[in-house]
Amino acid sequence: MLLLVATFFMAFVLLLYMLSPLISPKPLALPGAHVVVTGGSSGIGKCIAIECYKQGAFITLVARNEDRLLQAKKEIEKHSINDKQVVLCISVDVSQDYSQVENVIKQAQEKLGPVDMLVNCAGMSISGKFEDVEVSTFERLMSINYLGSVYPSRAVITTMKERRVGRIVFLSSQAGQVGLFGFTAYSSSKFAIRGLAEALQMEVKPYNVYVTVAYPPDTDTPGFAEENKTKPLETRLISETTSICTPEQVAKQIVKDAIQGNFNSSIGSDGYMLSSLTCGMAPVTSITEGLQQVVTMGLFRMLSLLYLRSFDTIIRRCMVERTKYEITDKTA
Amino acid sequence: MLLLVATFFMAFVLLLYMLSPLISPKPLALPGAHVVVTGGSSGIGKCIAIECYKQGAFITLVARNEDRLLQAKKEIEKHSINDKQVVLCISVDVSQDYSQVENVIKQAQEKLGPVDMLVNCAGMSISGKFEDVEVSTFERLMSINYLGSVYPSRAVITTMKERRVGRIVFLSSQAGQVGLFGFTAYSSSKFAIRGLAEALQMEVKPYNVYVTVAYPPDTDTPGFAEENKTKQGNFNSSIGSDGYMLSSLTCGMAPVTSITEGLQQVVTMGLFRMLSLLYLRSFDTIIRRCMVERTKYEITDKTA
Repeated sequence: MLLLVATFFMAFVLLLYMLSPLISPKPLALPGAHVVVTGGSSGIGKCIAIECYKQGAFITLVARNEDRLLQAKKEIEKHSINDKQVVLCISVDVSQDYSQVENVIKQAQEKLGPVDMLVNCAGMSISGKFEDVEVSTFERLMSINYLGSVYPSRAVITTMKERRVGRIVFLSSQAGQVGLFGFTAYSSSKFAIRGLAEALQMEVKPYNVYVTVAYPPDTDTPGFAEENKTKPLETRLISETTSICTPEQVAKQIVKDAIQGNFNSSIGSDGYMLSSLTCGMAPVTSITEGLQQVVTMGLFRMLSLLYLRSFDTIIRRCMVERTKYEITDKTA
Repeated sequence: MLLLVATFFMAFVLLLYMLSPLISPKPLALPGAHVVVTGGSSGIGKCIAIECYKQGAFITLVARNEDRLLQAKKEIEKHSINDKQVVLCISVDVSQDYSQVENVIKQAQEKLGPVDMLVNCAGMSISGKFEDVEVSTFERLMSINYLGSVYPSRAVITTMKERRVGRIVFLSSQAGQVGLFGFTAYSSSKFAIRGLAEALQMEVKPYNVYVTVAYPPDTDTPGFAEENKTKQGNFNSSIGSDGYMLSSLTCGMAPVTSITEGLQQVVTMGLFRMLSLLYLRSFDTIIRRCMVERTKYEITDKTA
């Protein structure tokens, strides 16, 4: 009896695997597509631009610094695969003023046609304890990381909905899946991006526009170097539980997921676990993805409680050390 | 054999239930405690203030509008349980300028002593499609809902850490657990609050300061009435009172304060995810149907 049930179940799962492609979005064809990358002059953004360019896309790079834009352009153009490809550079601060951003997108569309894929990489990271970071940091990070993703997305969304095709990629972070010590300002901005993406995907899905949220781990970029400048010891120790990635690895995975229209893009096995654990009410683009989540979530939650306990231990130990040090300092 | 394993498992679970209180924080005593409620002049904030007052707390109400503050104060004072209780009102915009907020907290602490509990209720809600809401809405909601919670929290945190006691409450929303149609601006601000709270809790836990994030569903308040003004009407954000299901499903890497809470989450998450996929499917159907209706209407409009 049990064996019969098990066989039926296996057959059902197999059937789902075979049917799975039928509900997935049609992959976006990159050759000839117009891809806009904000924050495309360095770090993950630049690598994503390179990855798309290698597959035949036409790139628009958007960033603030003109020199870095031109340098990035030269670097990207080395990877061209035909004579027609173009890399366009436009300098603007995507978080300042919506009308400026709208203008930039209009310029880009006049030159390279309607935007097929928008990749929101513009962002920065600052870490430090809640009461230690400068007060302006909260607003600043939210402005660059969140508003700097809202404005370009808003500028392209109407055209994408009209054309019934599009991809919008948001760069969140593993810190946007779990709020970590020292990341009160940064985690908030990355959680916000996830909320925005989830709501936006629900709105644009019937128009064949797909949203991807990427959750990279610590990645070896200039942005990461900046973050490390003020990083508290506790944060550093906790971050050692996941390994650092190269931006090329991250970019490859993100582009792959974006083309496919996957809502969730994660890197590595820790990324897989975090994404399954924190999927919550996020949409899935394949039946198997949903099935995997249902099966693994309980187990991953158990693991996560162990991880949280080890983080608490690290933090408590650091606090004790620091208090001892302060006492010795006072009595010295 | 199976029966033996089952018995051991049951005994283990029972043991956890008994040990559970040992890892939980000591409850905060409200009588005589100083509770600050931002956005306390209306809606959920006012009700929280009343609830704390009924249990003996001293209240500081913080909001922008002075008249509404005084009205709320009168209403709260009806519930006093002894002669010593006080309701203090201070008018400020908690999202504008940190130094103003710091000042307000300092004033409140001079009159009623150090803050034991801060409840961040200041917030507003606007709904509408991503490309339809005014562009300024994104910044505005983030400012009031997020920064308006950051600044008061920052003003009280150092004292709470020194005293080794405190509670900070953040008001997120069910829209802060799931991104819903029409809530691109609002959901983002409420997700941000969850990220802030999770990170903050990790930092202040060894200091016996505890953070609570609330995820209310649609609540009958003036704020909700405001939100409904621009609501598309084609999407109902009520997932009912299934706050329990949503919280278990979206707990992710959030901390637990009791072993049983963790156990419940481990056991229910997979099932709830399955249910959530069905819910999402039904939402998509609603949205698609509305889109088809609207397109048909536009075509008839054009040919008319």
